[in-house]
Amino acid sequence: MTLPIASELSPRARSWLRMRAIARRHAYVLVRSPHRLFDVTLWPLVDVVLFGSLAAFVGKSSATGTEKASGYLLAGIVLWHVIYQSQIAMSTGFLEETWTRNLLNMMVTPVREVEYVAGVAMFGMIKLVMGVGVMVIGALAFFSFHVWSLGFGLIPIAVTLLVVGWAISLLVIGLVLRFGTGAEALAWGVMFVLLPLSGVFYPTNALPTIMRPIALALPTTHAFTALRGLVDGTGLNWTQVAIAAAGSVVMLVLAAWFLVRMLTMFRRRGYITRYT
Amino acid sequence: MPAEPVLDARGLVKDYRRTRAVDGIDVVVGAGERVALLGPNGAGKTTTLLMILGVVQPDEGSISICGIDLERHRSRAAECIGFAAGYLPLTERMRVREYLQLYGQLYGLADPGARIEEGLERFRIAHLADAMGTELSSGQRTLIGIVRSTLHRPRLLVLDEPTASLDPDVALRVREGLIEVAANEGTALLMTSHDMTDVEHVCERVLFLSAGRIVADGTPASIAAAYGRGNLEGVFLHLADRHQATTSQQSDHP
Repeated sequence: MTLPIASELSPRARSWLRMRAIARRHAYVLVRSPHRLFDVTLWPLVDVVLFGSLAAFVGKSSATGTEKASGYLLAGIVLWHVIYQSQIAMSTGFLEETWTRNLLNMMVTPVREVEYVAGVAMFGMIKLVMGVGVMVIGALAFFSFHVWSLGFGLIPIAVTLLVVGWAISLLVIGLVLRFGTGAEALAWGVMFVLLPLSGVFYPTNALPTIMRPIALALPTTHAFTALRGLVDGTGLNWTQVAIAAAGSVVMLVLAAWFLVRMLTMFRRRGYITRYT
Repeated sequence: MPAEPVLDARGLVKDYRRTRAVDGIDVVVGAGERVALLGPNGAGKTTTLLMILGVVQPDEGSISICGIDLERHRSRAAECIGFAAGYLPLTERMRVREYLQLYGQLYGLADPGARIEEGLERFRIAHLADAMGTELSSGQRTLIGIVRSTLHRPRLLVLDEPTASLDPDVALRVREGLIEVAANEGTALLMTSHDMTDVEHVCERVLFLSAGRIVADGTPASIAAAYGRGNLEGVFLHLADRHQATTSQQSDHP
């Protein structure tokens, strides 16, 4: 009896090979669909110009105003794109399989769910670096705002926001598995709900009173509060970072649990027939 | 009963809401065996295949692929299976060779280059290696899909309507290629088809499904004889009529 060729590699090597293959598959999608570059080049640049110009306008009333407004708005939008890019990269990576009716092809392979997610996330990191890189350069070139001047405190904040982006994308994928591609509007819509509630550009006490408890329950709110501490020059507020990090991990665990539940339901109810 | 089953599915049951799609069937396929799963539309063929592929979870029953429990070790079991369907598209924005490379690696082949060349040669489509998937005809896409499904030398090759909408020349190439894969690599075939010519040429055993149950199991000739028909097509038409009558009766009396 001839054995399947796959048996020549160790399970770990096979797993790593599959993750890299998934990442490469999505690299082809980006490279061969120029319009997909909009998300990682033009859109970030538009945001920098929009929020940078807004900062220049509202900040010109006082000597320190421009600097502070630039810090709040530009640092806020750059860090916001960490969530946006990581979320969109992962969500649209999965949605690509549904748009091209490739889901069955993918699901019959030995790829484990965690390998698929890891492969998409690996390529998502490249998109994230591209998108945020464009913003950092744009902020420096157009508004002389150097994001890195805020210091290494940016790193833990960015990591927390990255995890939140992944958690949201797992939630979106779970909803698409359950409700079909009609739920894909959530991939973009959920971000527009999170943006104002997270106090990306302002302290949460600027929000209507009724919304403040919701804002405080979000890990993103604490991450952006810590970011404003850096902009104000008061240093990194580790308490806020710790709350944000713990919240983001809880969010990721809950989102992963939800995804597993939805995938089980997907298999039990035979929803694959929606995509064949 | 096959001595060394590559597929051992027992007591499979699947309900979709109030409809029983598969009703307690056993599907056992031995190494190198070529089996057809036939039946009219709605008989439960595709649901059965999707359960065997691990994409749909059975409500009852168990599935073992090469001795590996599918429910507990889906990834390991999937390494032993290849799947192709006439209705599935190729992954977009990739050249044929890139596409085959991708799937070779998903099945654990670090360097599938030689297998890709061999597969393309087998189905006489080596000239398509650098074409974009979107430039291919539906017949060419089907052939590429079959090459993809055999790259990792699967123990069980599952095919859903592999020759649907193919012209006779391409359908012949598919049949010859599948027989060669089974003969040279010991791969067992489990295929559905509405083309009885395919089945009579490729398969040595036929399972007939009707209303989610297996109503006949044997060689094409023995089944045709058992139903008093000249060929499988006659049996198919007879069972399709019966299936239609059964499902009409069920919808009249919910």
